[in-house]
Amino acid sequence: MSYFLLFFSAAIVNNFVLSYFLGICPFVGVSKKVSSAVSMGMAVTFVMLITAVVTWLIYHLILVPFDLVILQYVSFILVIASLVQLVEMFIRKVSKPLYDTLGIFLPLITTNCAILGLALFSVLRDYAFLESVVFGLGAGAGFTLALVIMAGIREELELAPVPKYFQGAGITMIVAGGLALAFMGFAGMI
Amino acid sequence: MSKLNLSTRMILVLTLITVLSGGILSGWDSVTKPKIAFHRLEALKAAIGDVLPAHDNYETLETDAGTLYVATTAGSDEPVGIAFTAVGSGFQGELRIMVGLTPDLTQLTGIKVLEQIETPGLGTKIVVDPSNKQNPFWWPEQFKGAHVSPELVVIKNVKPTKKNEIQGITGATISSVAVTDILNAQIIQVKKAWTAKGGPA
Amino acid sequence: MSSKISPLAEFTKGIWKDNPVMASLLGLCPVLAVTNAAMNGLAMGLATTFVLVTSSLIISALRNFIPHQVRIAGYIVIIATFVTVADRFLAAFMPDISASLGPYIPLIVVNCLILGRQEAFSSKNGIGRSLLDSLGMGIGFTLVLITLGVIREILGSGSIFGAAIMGDWFTPWMVMILPPGAFLTLGILIALANWFNDPSSSLTSPRSKDKGAAS
Repeated sequence: MSYFLLFFSAAIVNNFVLSYFLGICPFVGVSKKVSSAVSMGMAVTFVMLITAVVTWLIYHLILVPFDLVILQYVSFILVIASLVQLVEMFIRKVSKPLYDTLGIFLPLITTNCAILGLALFSVLRDYAFLESVVFGLGAGAGFTLALVIMAGIREELELAPVPKYFQGAGITMIVAGGLALAFMGFAGMI
Repeated sequence: MSKLNLSTRMILVLTLITVLSGGILSGWDSVTKPKIAFHRLEALKAAIGDVLPAHDNYETLETDAGTLYVATTAGSDEPVGIAFTAVGSGFQGELRIMVGLTPDLTQLTGIKVLEQIETPGLGTKIVVDPSNKQNPFWWPEQFKGAHVSPELVVIKNVKPTKKNEIQGITGATISSVAVTDILNAQIIQVKKAWTAKGGPA
Repeated sequence: MSSKISPLAEFTKGIWKDNPVMASLLGLCPVLAVTNAAMNGLAMGLATTFVLVTSSLIISALRNFIPHQVRIAGYIVIIATFVTVADRFLAAFMPDISASLGPYIPLIVVNCLILGRQEAFSSKNGIGRSLLDSLGMGIGFTLVLITLGVIREILGSGSIFGAAIMGDWFTPWMVMILPPGAFLTLGILIALANWFNDPSSSLTSPRSKDKGAAS
């Protein structure tokens, strides 16, 4: 599969949020405002990119050669948790404005299943190094896209007369269902 | 414990947890690994058995076109069929197909889709079609005996008349064509590799 | 802290009142992803319950030894260990289920439900209460998975636990076993739960506390 197709597939056709259900918690939680959705999306994309690189190296240079594949989950999640911490400290040191926009979202990312999902899918599909990097970028772009679209819709929903019992999570799920249906239209483009 | 300072305690506790975790997992690994390997082998054998005619044994042959499984019957060195796994893009994601060929590589002996994420109810008919009560496996079974040269062709809405024609699935033409495209491309590779290994061209 | 409530209530709160999915929207990824068939929902629920109960036991036993600053790191190692145990168990003894759940079993590691219970409960309570709490939460989670799985399987495939129950007249609603069906079904279930819990609705619920949606 060419890199473009891989990117397109991860971002649109097999969107992480809308067809793999990865990263639903932030999707429901942080998608109330477009501005925070953009920041969250950027933070996730950034962490995904680093995760794709680091977990690929760990899996292929340490776990496989030393026959330690059973430690895959433990090592991946530890690495992701420490990476998120490092990124947070780094951003705080380097750029105050960037920290103010992304900072509060970073701790949430450790338990974002999209990140671990990315690492697991890369291994499962046997991606080469560059492929898994492109896959990470695509997945991040797709996550951001879904989050931003959702936030746009929810900003409008504030003013809509939603039936009482559907307010909050109920209507969010219904809207997500509609979005997932729309994204299915992209199937067949790869 | 309380006499130690905090950072020593932190390191000690985390190390302890990690070492214990590693110990438990390596023990569990040695219990489950043989079983998992056994299931993988059984699944592979079953898939090869599904696409090739009856055979007693098979050899694996590493080639430029991937791993070939060369099946033989007891008491004879002549292969009865050759199987390989073909991989490529389907409608929505990757398809993995076990493909069986006659030893002269001119006809298919069967195919079996091992992995797919096609649209349920439409594209998944490449595996099984529950709406066809007489023969849910009508689609993959068409490949049994199909000629691979010049190439496999999907035709729509009419019954196949030529040996290399496969009837497409209504509503899932892309999935049908994806399978034949993957087969056409990889059979050429396998032919080259098989000839290079000294098999009959 | 919750040591005032009875052990029975500790167990049952996770099943309805504080149900991790319906009340707190925790662990939604597996809820939506694997519930296209009832069997998958059941297997996923049991695997999650196993990890939740075992890690809660260990963490509540160790709660006084783990320094506060490194607790999260410690918790995720313990959780990931049990997830690996469960994943390998399924792969070794139930290969079919393992294949159909795929990467969603390892993703139990990041199920917010599990880390959330450790942080909110097991790290502050004894072994007995942590067992009751985690068992209740696990069963509550499993019940939601099965409910969704049953609804989606009946409407989407016309069967239940793999056995066909609808007659030939029934055309399966394909969309129900596709991703949009997961979102729609869960949205409607959440609305139903809100309605059921609302004291002003015609169904009088024994509780008056408003749970609303916690998004």
